[in-house]
Order: sequence, then C-alpha cells, then structure tokens
Amino acid sequence: MFGKAITGGALLLATSLTPVWAQDNKAVTIVLNEEVDVLEPCMATRSNIGRVILGNVNETLTELDVRGDQGLMPRLAESWEQMEDGSWRFHLRQGVTFSDGSTFDAQDVKHSFDRVFDPTITCEAARYFGGMTVAANVVDDQTIDFVVDPVQPILPLLLSLVTIVPAETPIEFVRDPVGTGPYAVTEWSPGQQIVLTRRDDYWGEAPEVTQATYVVRTDPAVRAAMVEAGEADIAPTISQDDATNTATDIPYLNSETVYLRLDASQAPVNDVRVRRAINMAIDREAFIGTLVPQDALLATAIYPPTTQGWNPDVQVPAYDPEGAKALLEEARADGVPVDTPITIFARTANFPNVTEVMEAIQQMLQEAGFTVELQMVEVAEHEVYYSKPYPTDRGVYIIAAMHDNRMGDPSFSAYFKYHSEGRQSGISDPHVDDLITRASAATGEERNKLWSELQAYVHDEVVADVLLFHMVGFARVAERIDWTPTIATNSQLQLSEIGFKE
Amino acid sequence: MLTFIRKRSVASLISLVGLVILVFFLSRLTGDPTDLYLPIDATDEMRAQFREIYGLNDPLIVQFGHYVGDLVQLDFGESIRKARPAIDVVLEAFVWTLQLAVITMALVTAAAIVVGSLAAFRVGGFFDRVSGVLSLVAASAPDFWIAIVAIVVFAVGLGWLPTSGTGTPWHWILPIAVLFIRPFGLIVQVVRGSMINALSSAYVKTARAKGIKTRKIIFVHALRNAMLPIITVIGDQAASLLNGAVVIETIFGFPGVGKLMIDSILQRDFTVVLASIMVTALAIFVMNLLIDLAYAALDPRIRH
Repeated sequence: MFGKAITGGALLLATSLTPVWAQDNKAVTIVLNEEVDVLEPCMATRSNIGRVILGNVNETLTELDVRGDQGLMPRLAESWEQMEDGSWRFHLRQGVTFSDGSTFDAQDVKHSFDRVFDPTITCEAARYFGGMTVAANVVDDQTIDFVVDPVQPILPLLLSLVTIVPAETPIEFVRDPVGTGPYAVTEWSPGQQIVLTRRDDYWGEAPEVTQATYVVRTDPAVRAAMVEAGEADIAPTISQDDATNTATDIPYLNSETVYLRLDASQAPVNDVRVRRAINMAIDREAFIGTLVPQDALLATAIYPPTTQGWNPDVQVPAYDPEGAKALLEEARADGVPVDTPITIFARTANFPNVTEVMEAIQQMLQEAGFTVELQMVEVAEHEVYYSKPYPTDRGVYIIAAMHDNRMGDPSFSAYFKYHSEGRQSGISDPHVDDLITRASAATGEERNKLWSELQAYVHDEVVADVLLFHMVGFARVAERIDWTPTIATNSQLQLSEIGFKE
Repeated sequence: MLTFIRKRSVASLISLVGLVILVFFLSRLTGDPTDLYLPIDATDEMRAQFREIYGLNDPLIVQFGHYVGDLVQLDFGESIRKARPAIDVVLEAFVWTLQLAVITMALVTAAAIVVGSLAAFRVGGFFDRVSGVLSLVAASAPDFWIAIVAIVVFAVGLGWLPTSGTGTPWHWILPIAVLFIRPFGLIVQVVRGSMINALSSAYVKTARAKGIKTRKIIFVHALRNAMLPIITVIGDQAASLLNGAVVIETIFGFPGVGKLMIDSILQRDFTVVLASIMVTALAIFVMNLLIDLAYAALDPRIRH
C-alpha cells in the first residue's frame, strides 16, 4: 500500500513536471560554465559573453571559417580590398536590418568602431588593435574605408572580432544588445537564464533552432547531468571525468596550448644546451591518455595546428633522458651552473590534473639531473611571474601556463610570447624580433612562409620554451541534436550551426 | 523596549562602520582589479584607461573618501563586472538567499524541535537512539557530496526532480533538502540536551503529579524553558545561511548572495563585495534583534 502510494506520487510528480521540461521541438537549452556578467556586444571576444551573442545576436563584418578551410568569409561585408595606400575598403551587405527595425549601413559600422575605442568605456575588442590607430571613414551607405596606422595586413581578420551595433547605441554598456544577427535577446534574468528567439526578418538563411535558453552551472558534474536528464541539449564544456558516454560526449581541440616558459636571461637557463636538455628530459607521450586526454596533441608551436603558416616539419623533441644528461654534463664542463635550483610555478586548476602533470615533469627533470622544485599558486600570484616585469628576487624559475589562440593567425601569440618587448616573452633574439615584425606586415604566401620560419627557428634554434600539449575539451550533446564542437567553441557557439537529428 | 532597540541599533551601526572600513582596505590588498578584468594581452593604454575610469589611480584614502561620500547618499557604486549598480546586483541575489534561508530554517526548527523533544522524553529509548545516530550523521555530512548524490539519484536516475536551477517550486526541493540536513542534525542534539534538563526539573514533576497530559508537559511547560539555548543555536545557523550557502548555490545554480560574494572577491569587484557584506550584516543585525526580542518574550527575567 505504502509502496503504491510512493510510486503513485512519483508518477504524479513526473507527469506534473513534464511541462516544465517539455521542449518545443526546435528550441534548445545550452548550459554554460561561466556566469554572464554583461551582454555587451563590444565585450563579445570574452568567451562567456561571446558564446551567447557572437554570431547569434551581433554579427561582424567578416568571419573565420572554423568548420571548413575557407579561411576568412564575408558576413556583414560582402567584399573588401586593400587600397594602394594600405587602407582597406569594405563593401557592406544590403537589405540588412537590426532587431530594432533600423537599417544597417556604414554609419553603424563607424559607430561600432568609435565605441570600441572610446576612452570612457573599456571594450575588450580594443586589445586586438594595440599599437595601431584605426579611423573608419564612411564613403557611402554601403562602403566604408579603414585607415590603419601602421598598415595592417590582417585587418579583415581583426574585423571578425568587432561586433556591429546600431549607430544609436549609447557609449556605455548596454543590457539589451541590438544586432543584425538571426536571434534577438527576449529575456535576461541575471543568474537564471537568457533567452534568444529567432528573428523572422533576418537577412540570411533562417536557422533551424527557434529559441535558445542559456543557463549557467559552475559545477561540471551538474552540467553533464543536465544533458543526461534531458534538461539541456548542449553542455559545451564538461570535465574529462564526466565524459564517459561516447554517444553524447565529444572531445574537441579547444585552442589552448600548455607550455613551460623558460626565462633565457637567467643562468643556467640562458644556455641553449640546458634548454634543450629540459625539452629532452620530458616524456610527453607518457601523458597522453593518462593525465592528459587521449585526443590531446603534442605541441610544436604555442598556437594550434589550424593556425595560418603552420610548419608541419617541426618535430616534437624526442624523449632522451640520457641525451639530456650528456648535454647537462657538457654545459657543466663549460662552467654553466647547472645545479642551480629551479622552481616551476604552475597555476592551480589551470587545466585538469595540472598538479599531477607538473609533479611528473618535476620528477622527469630531476631524473635528468636538474634540481627542481614545484609550487602551485593561485591566479593572481601566477600573473606576477607570468608577465613583465618579472620578479628578480625569486631565483630561477620556469612558469607553466596555458595559452589560447583561436584566431587562426600567429600574430595573436608571437609578439607577446617571443618578441624581446613581448609582455610574456622569455627570450630576446634579434632574428626572432625581425621575423615577427616582417611576418606581421606581410600578406598571403609571404606571411605564411615567415610564420613557418619563425615557428621552426623558435622551436629548433632558440629553444624558447617547452611546448607540451594542444589541449582538448569535452562537450556533451543530447542525442537529438546534430552539432559538433570546434576549436572556436570556447569563444562562440552559433545557433545556426545546430541541427536536429529527427 | 524601544530604548533597547535603539541601543542595539547604535551598537550595530558602529560595528557596520568598522566592517566597511576593514573590508574596504582589506579587499584592496588583494590587488588591482585591472589585472583580472582585462585579458592578459590587453594593451597598456587599455589598462591605463581602465584605471582612470574606475578611479583606481587615486590614493587609497581618496578612493575611500569618494566611496563614503557616495555611501551616505545611499549610492553603493557600480559593479565593475556587471556594469550596473552594485546594490541592485546584491539585492537581487539576497532575495533568493533570504527565501532559501527562511524556508529552510522554518522547516529545520519545526522538525528539530519535534524530533529532539521526543528523543529527550525517553532518554536511551529506541527513538532516541535512532534519532541520535541520524542527527550525528546529518550534522557531519559534507553537503557538496550529498548535493551531487541527490542530483544523480533524484534528477538523473529517478527523474523526479529537476537537477538544478530555478523556475518552479520543484526546483526548490533539492537545495532545501540538502541545506536542511546539517542544521537539523545540530539543532536536534541541542533540543534534546536542553529538553532533558528541562524535563528533569521540579516544575515538570509537579505538572506530572497534577496529571497533565504528557504532550502538554513536553511542548508547553518544558519546551518554553528549554527554548533559550535552542534559539541561540537557531540564530547561529540562520546567520550562516543568510551569508549564503555557497556550495549549494554553486551546485544547484541558485543565484544567491553567497556565490555572488565569492565570485566578486575572486574578480575583485569591490563595490559588490562591500554592498553584499553590508546587506548581509544588516540582515543578521535584524535577525539578532528578533532573537533578543524572542528571548525577552520567553523569559520575563530578561525583560527587566
């Protein structure tokens, strides 16, 4: 009797609950891992904001093809060309309207740029334009010129990072973004949910998803559970430990690269043999499928292999502890203080198993004859060691870090990781500086060739750092959904790419 | 009575002022929000501009002066992260926490008093032993683990309840149930101890001798006298709930003030940290006042 009552109650509960979770067939729920603080289009390069609005609510002039190999594709711009003086002319798409009904034209583009660079608000998109001055000049409603000083060969790529807002948008952070995208924000209850609804008057092809609800759960196990329980359709990031169901859990290269930065200004690390020995002493293969996910790749550059100018000939250093010892002995014989204690600083919770990975590396280096200590620190303290000016009173140290370049071009990494003036560079090499300067200014094949050359030179000749892994993330996708994560999933999730299986 | 409230208010105001000064300067010690707000590859111009906008270039004491000047006009400042008034952000979250705390504590109090009193009535009896073991387990169970297990069992496995989030009354069940466990275990123990004392006193024996019903003896005569220490513990537990149930809020995606406070500290969103501390401090002050009044209502000696 009692049992029956419980079952009955449960059934009642279950049936009365159904409406809560019942999904309109083409509506999806996406469970994110980070709170969305603001829905400001000029902050869309920040991953938590970008995943909601980038390409969904607000569009950009150009767009990087992360699914195919088409490179840079037109979005709100139909075409562009570089003029003789080095400036860029963009021809804009016609017949595009914003979700507030106003028509898209060159004035909107100009205003969007002026807003990004306005000194009274801090727009994150401005970071990609460091050291340049950008002037947007309206030619006519459908044409706009960008005069950039110095001349910027990858301006069209940079424009894939600037979202377009109507010319009426105030110069302050907005809470109800208006854009030209296929969706409009119809509800935002902070801390609870954000709802995007498909627009009927979108200029492009209408996407399948009619409505998307975004919720945030910081606990990865809960995100995984939500998809399993049918409460959510996509969890773009779940933890490796929860990714146990091959039918729904998909690994993907997530544009993060783990590496150890060596500071070549300090003895004994200033000796290239010592840097080589560190590289040879680490058995990278041993981590794959054990502490680091099976699908992670061994790195030969600080950016992922999908980046322009990738050099396939650069080889991962072979694991050779004996060779490392021999190199160390050779250096010792020349008076290099190879016994100087070295501290590895790594950031707690930087990536799954970071402590174990670092402990193993410490062990491997010790076996090769180094005196190595390991210190796990919090993000704020990590930053002290990571960026210049480097502290000089902490002895010799190696910093373990993870770098994200999802932009498809090495210029987003090269300068600040390897240039003498770079904020997080551990080397100072005139040839590297020269290559970076020339590559940044070059276009087309020339540009690819120079980046390729830089990759090999930094890796094989300078031995600037210890490149470890191109990391993977895991997404859980409900079985009814047809969607695969890409290298850009950390920064954007276009609803138009979501399909349905049935 | 009014004098009492006035005196308490003045004392609380002084401690609130001290708290604001302490938190303002201590939170600044954690570092510059610029480093956390802006990406690692932000340009120096962006950093300088950010500091300028948020007045981070001024000497600390000047920043404090501005803050206090705004505060007396009830302006708690802008949240750097959320780009809107800090007090709005905090009140929004606090309403959730307050509901969660009030409902949980009401249930806990009712359940703990009944179970604790019954256990005390026959010390060493079957009910006492069972409730003793259960309340000890409850008082020492790690809530993050219980929360995850509850989600796996009731949401994923059985499908009875939603995993997390807000929206319907069903969404409240798991968070409240998990939050209920620990204070329940603790308060049952206190009720039991306090009741054993009360039940062994002379007036209970007199009442028994007069032939008054057992239920009336327990819940009217003894309980009223046993209530003072119980109320103290309830107040203590309620205060920690008002500070936000960080673990529960995080796991269940509940937009309460505990998680907000932790996030703001980690992101160095100082105005939100300060506003949430002031709001929760005020709430705890009001609650303490209520508890003092309850003491006075229960025990005439305190009134005089």
